[in-house]
Amino acid sequence: MKYYFLALGTVVVVCVGCAMDGNQLTNKGEYHAPPAAMMARPGPMVDGPGPGVLPMMGGMGPMGPGGMPFGGPAPRPVAPSTTQVRFVGPDGMHIGWLIPNGYAENQLVAPARYNFFQGGTYRLKINNIPGRDSLTLYPTLQVYPGHPNTEAYLTHNSVPLQLTEEDIEQVESNNFVTKVIYLPDARYQELAIANVETLVSTRLDPGVDPIQEADKRGTIMAVLRMGNMDLEMPGQAGKPMAGTEQGGVDQVAYAVDGAQSQFMPPLPIGPAGQGTPGIPGAMMVAGSGMPGAPIAGVNTTAWGMPITGTPIGLPGPPHLPLGGPATLQSHTVRNRSKNEVPAGVKDMLIDVKHDPGYRLPPPVSYIQYTEKHPVYSPGELSMPAWAQGQQGQGQGQYCPPQQQQ
Amino acid sequence: MVRMTSFIAGLSLLAVLLAIGTPVQAQQYPPVGGRQFPLNQMSPPGTAAQWAINAGKVAPNYLQPIRVTLPQDGKVTFYESVERPVELAAPAQAALLVGRMYRLKVTGMDDFPGVEFFPSIELIDRLHPPLGREEDFPVDFEFTTEEFEWAANGRLITKVIYLEQPDRVPTELLERTPRITTIEPSRNALAEADALGRPMAIVRLGGRTPDPHRPDPAFFGPGGPVRVAAKVTQTSAKQSAPAAVRLR
Repeated sequence: MKYYFLALGTVVVVCVGCAMDGNQLTNKGEYHAPPAAMMARPGPMVDGPGPGVLPMMGGMGPMGPGGMPFGGPAPRPVAPSTTQVRFVGPDGMHIGWLIPNGYAENQLVAPARYNFFQGGTYRLKINNIPGRDSLTLYPTLQVYPGHPNTEAYLTHNSVPLQLTEEDIEQVESNNFVTKVIYLPDARYQELAIANVETLVSTRLDPGVDPIQEADKRGTIMAVLRMGNMDLEMPGQAGKPMAGTEQGGVDQVAYAVDGAQSQFMPPLPIGPAGQGTPGIPGAMMVAGSGMPGAPIAGVNTTAWGMPITGTPIGLPGPPHLPLGGPATLQSHTVRNRSKNEVPAGVKDMLIDVKHDPGYRLPPPVSYIQYTEKHPVYSPGELSMPAWAQGQQGQGQGQYCPPQQQQ
Repeated sequence: MVRMTSFIAGLSLLAVLLAIGTPVQAQQYPPVGGRQFPLNQMSPPGTAAQWAINAGKVAPNYLQPIRVTLPQDGKVTFYESVERPVELAAPAQAALLVGRMYRLKVTGMDDFPGVEFFPSIELIDRLHPPLGREEDFPVDFEFTTEEFEWAANGRLITKVIYLEQPDRVPTELLERTPRITTIEPSRNALAEADALGRPMAIVRLGGRTPDPHRPDPAFFGPGGPVRVAAKVTQTSAKQSAPAAVRLR
């Protein structure tokens, strides 16, 4: 019989001991507020994208020195619209990017840094890699929108991006390399190493998606996808079929060369997180955390485009039928959170007490005032010594008004 | 015996179900003193200051004198806005608006030739000095060479400056200067500072610099008025030197 109890105890300890500390069934007396990013937005229909949504409340207050408002609305938190990408190396590598009508060459020479607008995907052109002069790569750089978890980092730091020898060898071996740069969550950060981390697809087990893996560990800031496809081959779309060596005329694109002090910002080829031809589809990402009044098509999604996430990770239904009748008849999102929000108070009673309380004397209710004046008989009045010599010279005598000049 | 075996099997099944149905939810940061803090060092910059103003913790129009000390000679620039920088020699003392976030520029240090640092200061509370002696009691921001080295290597250093509460600080800590406590990233620096006193400001130092090819106005933040101090007293600054919880 005792072996049964021994086995029972072992099973209970193994199954329950790691998950329960004995307080799960009782109230610990702790209260948990929602995350700061959630509390910054008061609730549904406030500060969200789309028409009919109220902007953040608050008017302008009095202005202080320098044109800055005193009081009134609180200052807008710093929310950068760009992510600074730092091309760490290899040293001497030239970085260009896609612009309208071609590529801007040699815009940066590593090590260098550049501010990319968040929420966009850019086509880069990398050449002049030390030791590989003939190699030209056309990777895509997907810059994710800002997130409350990454805003502090992006405001003060750049996102490092380095092409290692292994990455280049993998590309030359006809492999596809995906590098995901993310900011780890606090629980995944190692001791005294609070820095961004990079997941490379070639270092993960086969079948493991680096983006999903990085998303589990933290918040993604940028994704670089790189293969060995040549996007400037003669005969490619946008290029004439016959090259100059065949007697044809090669179309001359608008050339921008950084070596000649010509500079042009990159052209986004697609939004971050959206499936685009030529770019592998990625996960859905949250919108930018920038507060303020949303304007459809300017600082938020264009009117009618799907903006609502679904529990299965796909974009939600469009808000308007786009060119055809709506087919979706039901879309349900269930919130299964067990929130404990008490009901509102109907009657409020506040007891206040000073201990010891006030103790004052009773107020005055009766006053008796008596003046006693001395009474002298004739001849008892004595004059002060200083006045005795002037006695009888008009002191105290009646003086008619007309004589007071 | 069969009945006992069934009883044990039932209990075992119950134990397994309990183990499966009791998820252990990990908090982003562990509670400090039994309290869960909604804000932490990774909250969006400016949020803590905004909350301090909204909650009425501080008056929004108070100019708190601060003093920026460098490990060596250098220049400190306060930005009222992008177009209105105010450059001072270190140690630089100026009064900034509480509830705002200011961007600073630190240059001219011999150990970092040609390197510019752009830390930010977010004032979330104020001191209460004797009336008329506000400039004698600034909040001291002291940067170390080690912190600048980390920032130059692309690390983000977050410091929470707090005013010590005497009964919460061990006596031996009061004898050390500067009193900087470095904690691991998995802990909430703001909550740790709150447990030891009254958080005054959040300082962030990283390696990002303005990009001349594509300037980002939001990089310098909303800014605000800067009042340059008329005098700087070395001794008075030490009297009010708050402590700091640093996270790297």
